[in-house]
Amino acid sequence: MTDVPVQRIRNFCIIAHIDHGKSTLADRLLQETGTVAARDMQAQFLDNMELERERGITIKLQAARMEYTAADGERYILNLIDTPGHVDFSYEVSRSLQACEGALLVVDASQGVEAQTLANVYLALENELEIIPVLNKIDLPGADPERIKEEIESIIGLDTSKAIDCSAKTGLGVPEILQAVVDRVPPPADRVDEPLRALIFDSYYDAYRGVIVYFRVISGSIARKDKVLLMASKTSYELDEVGVMAPDQRQVESLHAGEVGYLAASIKAVADARVGDTITLLANPADEPLPGYAEAKPMVFCGLFPTDADQYPDLREALDKLQLSDAALKYEPETSSAMGFGFRCGFLGLLHMEIVQERLEREYNLDLIVTAPSVIYQVNMIDGSTLMVDNPATLPDPQKRESIEEPYVKLEIYTPNIYNGTLMELCQERRGEFIDMKYITTDRVTLHYEMPLAEVVTDFFDQMKSRTKGYASMEYSLIGYRKNELVRLDVLINAEKADPLTTIVHRDKAYNVGKGLVEKLKELIPRQQFKIPIQASIGSRIIASESISAIRKDVLAKCYGGDISRKKKLLQKQAKGKKRMKAMGRVDVPQEAFMAVLKLNQ
Amino acid sequence: MVMALQHGRFQPICLGLVSTPLPLIGPTSVSEPRSAYLHIPFCQRRCFYCDFAVVPLGDRADGAHSGSIEAYLKLLHAEIAGSPPGPPLSTVYVGGGTPSLLTPGQIGALLAALGDHFGLAPGAEISLEMDPASFDRDRLDQLLAIGVNRVSLGGQSFDDPVLERLGRRHRRADLLEAAAWLAAAWRQGQLRSWSLDLIQGLPEQTLDHWAGQLGQALALEAPHLSIYDLIVEPGTVFAWRQRRGQLPLPDPEMGADLMDFTSERLRGAGYGHYEISNYAQPGHVSRHNRVYWSGAGWWGFGMGATAAPFGERQARPRTRAAYGEWLNTRRQHQPEERGGAVSAPPFDELLLVGLRRREGVSMDRLAAEHGIGPAELGGLRQRLGPFLEGGLLLIEGSRWRLSDPAGLALSNAVLRELLDWWDGRPDPGASPAGPQRQDHGHRSTPG
Repeated sequence: MTDVPVQRIRNFCIIAHIDHGKSTLADRLLQETGTVAARDMQAQFLDNMELERERGITIKLQAARMEYTAADGERYILNLIDTPGHVDFSYEVSRSLQACEGALLVVDASQGVEAQTLANVYLALENELEIIPVLNKIDLPGADPERIKEEIESIIGLDTSKAIDCSAKTGLGVPEILQAVVDRVPPPADRVDEPLRALIFDSYYDAYRGVIVYFRVISGSIARKDKVLLMASKTSYELDEVGVMAPDQRQVESLHAGEVGYLAASIKAVADARVGDTITLLANPADEPLPGYAEAKPMVFCGLFPTDADQYPDLREALDKLQLSDAALKYEPETSSAMGFGFRCGFLGLLHMEIVQERLEREYNLDLIVTAPSVIYQVNMIDGSTLMVDNPATLPDPQKRESIEEPYVKLEIYTPNIYNGTLMELCQERRGEFIDMKYITTDRVTLHYEMPLAEVVTDFFDQMKSRTKGYASMEYSLIGYRKNELVRLDVLINAEKADPLTTIVHRDKAYNVGKGLVEKLKELIPRQQFKIPIQASIGSRIIASESISAIRKDVLAKCYGGDISRKKKLLQKQAKGKKRMKAMGRVDVPQEAFMAVLKLNQ
Repeated sequence: MVMALQHGRFQPICLGLVSTPLPLIGPTSVSEPRSAYLHIPFCQRRCFYCDFAVVPLGDRADGAHSGSIEAYLKLLHAEIAGSPPGPPLSTVYVGGGTPSLLTPGQIGALLAALGDHFGLAPGAEISLEMDPASFDRDRLDQLLAIGVNRVSLGGQSFDDPVLERLGRRHRRADLLEAAAWLAAAWRQGQLRSWSLDLIQGLPEQTLDHWAGQLGQALALEAPHLSIYDLIVEPGTVFAWRQRRGQLPLPDPEMGADLMDFTSERLRGAGYGHYEISNYAQPGHVSRHNRVYWSGAGWWGFGMGATAAPFGERQARPRTRAAYGEWLNTRRQHQPEERGGAVSAPPFDELLLVGLRRREGVSMDRLAAEHGIGPAELGGLRQRLGPFLEGGLLLIEGSRWRLSDPAGLALSNAVLRELLDWWDGRPDPGASPAGPQRQDHGHRSTPG
């Protein structure tokens, strides 16, 4: 396998918006090249996490090596490197792009270009990738390839004269795509003679072999039994395995510049072999690592508490295990008088948070209370020090702080122009600062805003989707911190402060948020045998209050001979349901209530 | 779900001893069953709130001309005849369904069968559920002549539009007429006691409307009243209406107001609120139903009926075919053969039923009998602290009871806590009483 000359290797990825058919096309390429026999084809081969398959999105990327005999009669090696399709994972996207020389830009022939696609295309252009436009779903009645081509030309400035019409579903256009990859994607640079530098673009944890690292060799070569050095993490390992993904892992003796493969070296955690790190030989190291390494920084934080305090050790163990395969997940113990023991966790974004929460519940069978997401604030103290606060409940008292700064993002929304008005209204409500609006076609625009990240992580995406019937898409990136008039809004349930419901809000919005929050909590917390006051306060000042009236009737009217067993079962079942709520003082609070701040507009 | 109400279903008792204290619950006092429930599943129609094991036969059905009824009665007789023996019965309850669809001769034959098999104790309470419009004065006299001495009349409402929306066949005039016959028979000493059932918390019900209903009920001077809060049971017409938003039930506050009002109004009128849904003038508590709430055993006969003669509940199948088959198998195996001593129900069930009663339970004795030590009982007390503080649960010496009406109206909240405490104990099977209970998954009608 490694006898393939560099000139006959092509490394490429697929850039596509969710639902535009990336996974289906990838499957089709594997099939067409005979890499996977049709009968072994599991729909959407590359997305092999259960969650990914359910949501139809790619979270962790994968790669596959295909052999293809081109029109010139030569045998080529085509490495397809999959990319995650969500904004939370844009760093990983950038690394996988760096491992390629070309990209297929897959656009739905009826829907056109979306914001996420656009962001990734620009990344690909920055990395000087050759881009081959592909119009997918050409077989559907709504397909309008000419209009979409125009759109691609006017928005991205790509020449679409050689765009390929395709239907990943029927296989139409697939051979043309493979030939185009050979013809148009440049071969990797032949740097076999230089010292080894290989770029890690993905890794996952395998319970038996340790971390499996996916890499692209940029220069030199790597062989089994080599002793390697990871230049950023400064750790070294002897390789147990080197191989290729065809698409199942197959061991080879060595891989050289231009090739894509995997290695196993009994590495204990993915944090030791991070995406973006450079692999070199311990004995003959490269002078410089490859550019662009960055450690994933969590942007969104929340508290995770077991519903049942006895599950705390299980939660810790589950997080420990998850972190082995998820280097971006950060957590530290958090104790709250209201909630008991739990963890403060950091995530790349909301989707990442949801995925982790779901995996904890599904794979580790935990019942969790998740608090509303928060961002990380920079607090400038009166004494001149600064403090980073990722938990609103720990924001210092006003008399100790000089100012608070919050993270801002550059936000780009891509939408049919009929939704301009409603989206601008939404952005304004969310404290967005309008930068500009560009018409990319006669009826589609990009809106460009700068906005506090805190406003984005509180259900902005859902709001945007619902206001535009799902037509708008968005992209954001962090641009720094800005000072704002922020205050801490506390919630008191039955006169006791409920830490997990504390939020940091802009002073101008505090009253409305407080009012909305107590109203929402009144709706979400079931009535109990006593009256429960619910209040929102800033410092000691109550700014909103509601109360949940006591429940007065809960009774089984009839209970004679045959009813007894049934009534008992019913009551036992209800008692169990109650256990899934978190007892805060004397009040049982359901999970939804902790997310109340996200539901103020519903 | 509908409520719990059954078409006629209650019974007071009379017994002349007006002030006999009710016995406290306690398993050691369990003795052989002296009560029997007979289930007559036939109705003319199924009411819209009803999920009982019933067989609707149509509006012209009556026991004299129905092959279905004849066939079923054969099975019922066979079950009685095949039952293990026991001491003479002091209460018999014929429930349904609409037992008054049977002819007096058919009911008499069933009572005679029980008499032959077990014997009927002198002064036994013989209750029959009857629906308005299913009998006349003549038929009532015949029923009294064969030994029925207590009648539970399924009135449900005094309003024709309401009765129609409940799917009832009778109308206000039928109810008033039937009640007049019963009242007359009672005054003349031919009937020892009678009861009227009403449903409260019906769609769109207001406090004023309900006050009017109760006023009319009191005017009839029934010595026993069963007031059932509507429960919408799955699979009923009401459940279907509710799903479609067509069942405008009173809001929870109003529901609670109705319950409070009922308790105060009826107690003010001289009725004792002796169980969550039951009120009786002195001496008219239903002896039969008290059996269920005291932990004592009873015989049960008929499809869907539950029996618990020896402490373990056994529900019969809820369809006629399955019941017939069950009876066949049982005839060969005699599974209800007594295996040993009569056992009491477990602790949690004794509380579940015992706390429904005005007098509650004698906790010290109950705990001692179930091996629950003072420390553990202290833990339970602490757990129930909020209910004690709120005045819902009252501990008076060794007696634990729910307050009236607040505690009774919230009894589920207290019971959930109790059950959860009991299930969470290190050794939940600590009941000293014998065999493991088993639930067969069938539900049975009450008796």
